[in-house]
Amino acid sequence: MAGAGIINTNQVVYRPRVVVVGLASCFGCQLQITNIESHLMELLGQIDLTYWQLASSDPMPQYFDVAIIEGAVTTQESVETVRTLRRKADTLIAIGACATTGGIPGMAGGSLGLADRAAEVYEKGSLPEACGEMCVPRPISSVVKVDAEVRCCPIDSYDFVKTLHRLVYGSNRAQLTSTLCGECKRNETTCFYAEGTLCLGLITRSGCGARCVNLGRPCNGCAGLSPDANVDSARDACVRYGVSVERFDKALEMFNQFELDAVLEQEQAQKAQDKDEATTNQASSEADASDTGSRG
Amino acid sequence: MTKTAIHVDHIARIEGHGNVHLVIEDGQVKTCEMNVVEPARLFESMVKGRHFSEIPYIASRICGICSASHVVTDLLAIEHIFGIEVSERTKALRDLLVYGSYLQNHATHLFVFAAPDFVGHASVFPLADEAPDLFEQALALKALGNELCTKVGGRSVHPITAVVGGFTHEITADEYLDLAQKMEAMIPFAEATVDLFQSFEVPAIATEGDMLAMVAPDHYAVADARAARFLHAGIEFDPDDVEEHLEEYVVSHSAALFARVRETQQPYFTGALSRLNASWTQLSSQAKVASAKAGVRPPVKNPYFNNLAQAIELVDALEHCSTLCRLLAGEKGGIPGTSRPVSFDICAGKGVGFTEAPRGALFHELELDGEGRVVSASIMTPTAQNVANLEADMRQLAELLIGEGKDEESIRGEVEKLVRAYDPCLSCSVH
Repeated sequence: MAGAGIINTNQVVYRPRVVVVGLASCFGCQLQITNIESHLMELLGQIDLTYWQLASSDPMPQYFDVAIIEGAVTTQESVETVRTLRRKADTLIAIGACATTGGIPGMAGGSLGLADRAAEVYEKGSLPEACGEMCVPRPISSVVKVDAEVRCCPIDSYDFVKTLHRLVYGSNRAQLTSTLCGECKRNETTCFYAEGTLCLGLITRSGCGARCVNLGRPCNGCAGLSPDANVDSARDACVRYGVSVERFDKALEMFNQFELDAVLEQEQAQKAQDKDEATTNQASSEADASDTGSRG
Repeated sequence: MTKTAIHVDHIARIEGHGNVHLVIEDGQVKTCEMNVVEPARLFESMVKGRHFSEIPYIASRICGICSASHVVTDLLAIEHIFGIEVSERTKALRDLLVYGSYLQNHATHLFVFAAPDFVGHASVFPLADEAPDLFEQALALKALGNELCTKVGGRSVHPITAVVGGFTHEITADEYLDLAQKMEAMIPFAEATVDLFQSFEVPAIATEGDMLAMVAPDHYAVADARAARFLHAGIEFDPDDVEEHLEEYVVSHSAALFARVRETQQPYFTGALSRLNASWTQLSSQAKVASAKAGVRPPVKNPYFNNLAQAIELVDALEHCSTLCRLLAGEKGGIPGTSRPVSFDICAGKGVGFTEAPRGALFHELELDGEGRVVSASIMTPTAQNVANLEADMRQLAELLIGEGKDEESIRGEVEKLVRAYDPCLSCSVH
């Protein structure tokens, strides 16, 4: 990032110019930024917040360093917005479940087509023009490269500040990839599976401190699938503890529909490829056999 | 012929994305549109087939600022279908959650969104230098709303602890008392907020539409009554019959459905101003005094006064919350029992949940099958209900200002102010 990284208190400090943009979302993550009341002015002192439609009527500037995006990409117009922001910004930060996994809006993807869903909500054939050209809801990272992510629904305000600081001041701190279960072990909370209750902590990315579980509520997976997740093994655990695998799979869609669809697509492509190879192999082995035959 | 087109693209300092298109020809308003361009997320479709326990959690994500209201409204719909009677403690906690979102919403709306218009700034941030006391206290009020939601719901946005039948967690008596004291200490600032908004000049318009609010015989109801009333038409109905009285319709320039009173075909306003008109006599004592002092007594039809009504509700909410917190802490006999979720049986059925969200009447209609899965869902948010009335008021305002010979720039400014006075939540309206 231009000018960032080194802060010399004796000299004029370069404050990175930041824009905050909202796509399809509940605006809750932007609110979480305003919810750092005690730190808000301090935070604003470290950056030059040049555009934030939620809080100011100043227009979007031509040049900026950091783009913070909340929300999922759900229209062709927002695909273009994200591409433009990527072109202009040195650093792009996706905040919240919608922007990082497709989140709750992502559930509108899946097996039932978007057009059918829209027809259920609006009268058939009367989708307002104002809805724009809709596309399957997706995370920012499926459209452009994302430099940093703040996960969860909504984001934790301090997690956001930490991420911003990491980018402004520089840090080599690695992102967590483990699943949430480890956090519950450290918190010494009782596991929901012991009472036969579904919890997505088994496969969800850690980092939130198991906020929901600490308050007596199972994890709904808002941080998205952990890279270390073993989904098949989690399904086995469901069977062992008498939790419905069907409910587990359904619950998984809440914040992971886009990734699940992508995995499914990959699997189908793999199967198709395997089938092709098998056919080719069979054909070639038959050819080999006939070769051998002719040799024999 | 003189033709003036006023376009405000992407109105700032409101929640969500919206544009205004106003065309004036020879002193006549030809076009007046509120263009809601928020992306459709199709919640009503995506909850189909899902287990009831997930629905309040998902519906919460319709809106960050009224998340508590969406959760409570869905819980009420589900409990109505299953015939669940929750404890008095649970009811009190739900009131606190809804009031917490009033504090958050009204403080954010009044200071971050609305006030900059009246003091000539693009945002609230310059006030940090110009009026540091006001700025600090406004943030402290907003922070108190967040703290209340966090203590009761587990976090300030998207509550965790509120589930079907009760709550999964409660704070200690000392924490309730601490909250009560903070609420009481904040009342003078809320009263000063009423005075501040009373001092701002606004154009003299009067909405011609109807007004809708929750009503109860003996209190200022926000989450526990099953009666809604159109104040002008005099129609009172049970939320289960909402579709008989409230008609939604599609317009091309808005991704939000519009709404009108089915019987009279009139647009209507719902929000703090409607509640104040409906239940003024039931305001808390200090809120009533603040309201009377500001000259606000029903009927109040100027939509700009929704700002003032929200400020009055801040006083009311703080007083109510401090009383509730003291009761929950065990003072004056307290509220005995527990808020732990009660047990219940799942059954098929249809029902409507109804609350007064910060921005107005919120209805969630659910139909569940015998296994508790959603067959159909319909969500009517306050902003979607308000847009038609906003357009009518905007037209009236533009005509008034043209008559007064105001230039394009000042018409644009006043129109933006009017939109903000409605406190629209466009992300809510397109769900």
